[in-house]
Amino acid sequence: MTAPDKGFTLSPNPPQHALHLHRELNRVWANDRGWWGQITAVNHTTLGLRFMATALVFFAIGGVLAMMLRAQLATPAGVFLDTELYNQIFTMHGSIMMFLFAIPMLEGLGIWLLPKILGTRDMAFPRLTALGYWCYLFGGLIMLTALLFGVAPRDGWFMYTPLSGATHSPGINADIWLLGVTFVEISALAAAIEITVTILRQRPPGMTLTRMPLFAWYMLGTSVMMLVGFPPLILGSVLLEVERAFNWPFFEVARGGDPLLWQHLFWLFGHPEVYIIFLPAAGAISTIIPVMCRTQIVGYGAIVAAILALVFLSFGLWVHHMFTVGIPHMALAFFSAASALVAVPTAVQIFAWIGTMWRGQPQMHLPMLHIMGFFLTFVMGGLTGVMLAIVPFNWQAHDTAFVTAHLHYVLIGGFVFPMMAAASYWMPLISGRGRIKGLGEAAFWVILLGFHGTFFVMHLTGLVGMPRRIDTYPDNPEWIWLNLTSSIFSFVLTIGFALFAIDMVLQALLGPRTPRDPWKGQTLDWAMMRPTPSYTFASLSTRPLTPGQPAGEVALRLARGEGLLPGAPRGRREFLVTEIGTGRPDHVAILPGNTALPLAMSAMIGGFVLLMLAGLYILTPLALAGVGVLIWRWGRSLTTPHDHPPVSIAPELSLPVHHHSRATLVQSGIVCLLVANGTLFASLLFGLGFLTVVAPNWPAPLPLRGGMTEAILTVAAVGALALGSLAVRLRIGVVPAITGLAVNLLALALVATLAAMALHDPTNHARDALRAVLTGYAGLHVLMSAGFAGFVWQMALRGELSPNRPGVVANWRLVQDYTTVTAAIVALVVIWQGIAG
Amino acid sequence: MSWLMKSLLGPGVWGVCFSAVYGLHGLGCARGWSDLTIAPSSVHHFAMLGTWLAGIGACALLVIVLPRGGGMQNQLPRAGAWIGLGAVVFTLFPILVASSC
Repeated sequence: MTAPDKGFTLSPNPPQHALHLHRELNRVWANDRGWWGQITAVNHTTLGLRFMATALVFFAIGGVLAMMLRAQLATPAGVFLDTELYNQIFTMHGSIMMFLFAIPMLEGLGIWLLPKILGTRDMAFPRLTALGYWCYLFGGLIMLTALLFGVAPRDGWFMYTPLSGATHSPGINADIWLLGVTFVEISALAAAIEITVTILRQRPPGMTLTRMPLFAWYMLGTSVMMLVGFPPLILGSVLLEVERAFNWPFFEVARGGDPLLWQHLFWLFGHPEVYIIFLPAAGAISTIIPVMCRTQIVGYGAIVAAILALVFLSFGLWVHHMFTVGIPHMALAFFSAASALVAVPTAVQIFAWIGTMWRGQPQMHLPMLHIMGFFLTFVMGGLTGVMLAIVPFNWQAHDTAFVTAHLHYVLIGGFVFPMMAAASYWMPLISGRGRIKGLGEAAFWVILLGFHGTFFVMHLTGLVGMPRRIDTYPDNPEWIWLNLTSSIFSFVLTIGFALFAIDMVLQALLGPRTPRDPWKGQTLDWAMMRPTPSYTFASLSTRPLTPGQPAGEVALRLARGEGLLPGAPRGRREFLVTEIGTGRPDHVAILPGNTALPLAMSAMIGGFVLLMLAGLYILTPLALAGVGVLIWRWGRSLTTPHDHPPVSIAPELSLPVHHHSRATLVQSGIVCLLVANGTLFASLLFGLGFLTVVAPNWPAPLPLRGGMTEAILTVAAVGALALGSLAVRLRIGVVPAITGLAVNLLALALVATLAAMALHDPTNHARDALRAVLTGYAGLHVLMSAGFAGFVWQMALRGELSPNRPGVVANWRLVQDYTTVTAAIVALVVIWQGIAG
Repeated sequence: MSWLMKSLLGPGVWGVCFSAVYGLHGLGCARGWSDLTIAPSSVHHFAMLGTWLAGIGACALLVIVLPRGGGMQNQLPRAGAWIGLGAVVFTLFPILVASSC
């Protein structure tokens, strides 16, 4: 990657007949017809809308649950819900809103909007988009079904141990959460990978990172945070599920575990999660305000720097959720300072937006009203956040209704209001129709009144001492009027949201047709037909828009094919891939077409989850084998038996297709996946370090077995993997592939021998359980590397490998090297434990 | 080094320094380093102080060596360095004022 800011342009292609291009492209890019077409769709517009619509359904369900909670709390001795059901409902309300509404909604917005705003034709990995959607849907349905059958999670949306452990939470309620949420998180990781790669590799020529629309910067920050933020929670969920299912102690004090490890892993995800939710919303705000104010954004560079600061600082705050667990003063002070500091980059953005409004001429259309609602609400939430960052106040307010009020101010202020602004702003692009005036404004005012009536009062409820998550309060008459007020206004809030939904539906069905680019938008999404076609642009933009240039100015030119890669003359789904920093054209990617493979894959993963929930552990390897077979088929569809000629993208420029490029999108995706995987591995090492140093009941009572034999086996396994890393660097062909396969299988056999000889029963102590997990992690990665080597070997046998098609070997090398490095670290830990006892 | 990596350097140094000091803090408290005194403080305190000062030094060096001017191409890496410096100083200053364990 070289330095950015060296923009350049390409000559346009000659104009063609726009309708002809539209028909040609539509034949290639459109979904299949009928129900089958819905199942096999991989298009980002379809799936982005589907993500958002499904998220809205879950939002409505979560809202109904909230109403039930408020009905119960309206009176001090309510009998609307019994305690068991109340516990399930508040747990599901939080879990649904976080995991099934907010995150999928931001994913859906990113998936739907990013290709349009970047002027490309689809996300980098359309089948991954579809896989993410199905995993989200199936995971969400598992959780909802559990609620219908009365076995929903009941331990709070952060599932603290030991309450969520097998002793205190028997039955499958907690398992539903752990497995269901992890299933849904596959969707989040999939979205994070493809959003990152799409932003870094699919911008128009000359759109350097420093000229990128702010929405893309925000989404890039979000996706990177998701790559790093979700793995700790996935690890925590896996460890807790293993503890519950197989009795391996990670969080149980008596056997060397510690419940605080769960809190660390959860909040390592949980606090960045707030910013993961906020950043896309801020991206929408940064896009909408300049358009609504007829000016350009003030402080582009300052906002990008603020995003950079937020992405990092938000990972240094997690302990402020744990201020009352007995942490030494100095550590409290570190996290208190970081929690206060994070307000600075947030304030930078707020002032940039205010400055933009000050410089422009704000027009109070509906999106702007919602943004005003955002300012009022989010700033108040931010200020109570600073209050909670101060340790003595936090000690007083912890686990009270004050915190509930604060988090709703931050999440509804920082996410829901901006999302409503985004919905009303982009609705003309989605439906091709304008608003029916009046209803949306009424909905806004009712929501604003209902929200502040509900949650402002809740601060006071908390300050007079009401804890969260209690279902009755017969001995506290001073809380009665406060709770009753919150309950009444919460129904007002619900009416407001219902009005908003009605407004959206009416607009989609009955609104007047809008002209192209009704807002005079400044991003490429407004240079398209409305509603948006499956292929987005008939030809791709030759350069980014200049600051302040209305997108409508280039719309006709792109529709007539005067941009790059016009039409689909080869009958393939093609788009342009550019270099990360400079935005120079690199190659042409050919995307796969419609397929049911993502559905089959998510169904197979769902089968694994259901087998785990049913306790049929013995059958789970079958589901995992099925996943492996489908991954193999997925990969096979990416190979090609012959070379492809270069593709002309502009009169003076032809580019190779991705088969002949080394730096493919898949390679970028694998790098992202390894970043997430590396974070999970680092979290595992953190867990080991934390328990070793902090947990009571260490060292483990049984000395370690193995000694010198163990050390020799460990070194031999790592040595075999190092040979694999060497083999993948040899000349492309059959011999390196079969060598790689052989040494990986040898390493796998050594790891299995090591596990059989040197490991204690993992149920004895957390040390033994963690050693087993580390060994299993290494073994799993050796298996994956062996699979990759076998895949390359099969390609070599079929004559599909060639020095002109270097991508697959480069990808194998990444995975093989990762395996070697992590296995070496595991080996060091195992040997060190043997020495230290 | 790529432009994006340069921009991430400053916050990255903060991330490493913050993690290292927090790790040293936990390790030192658990292993009793605060009882090992070196006038006027303890081994524990000096270990954290040294790491903190190293972090400050690394960020200050970035601020000095990263080129100025030249539009956002240079400004963002420098802004990253300043973010790192500010964050290292502010979030870890409790080393100077709070008791260790």
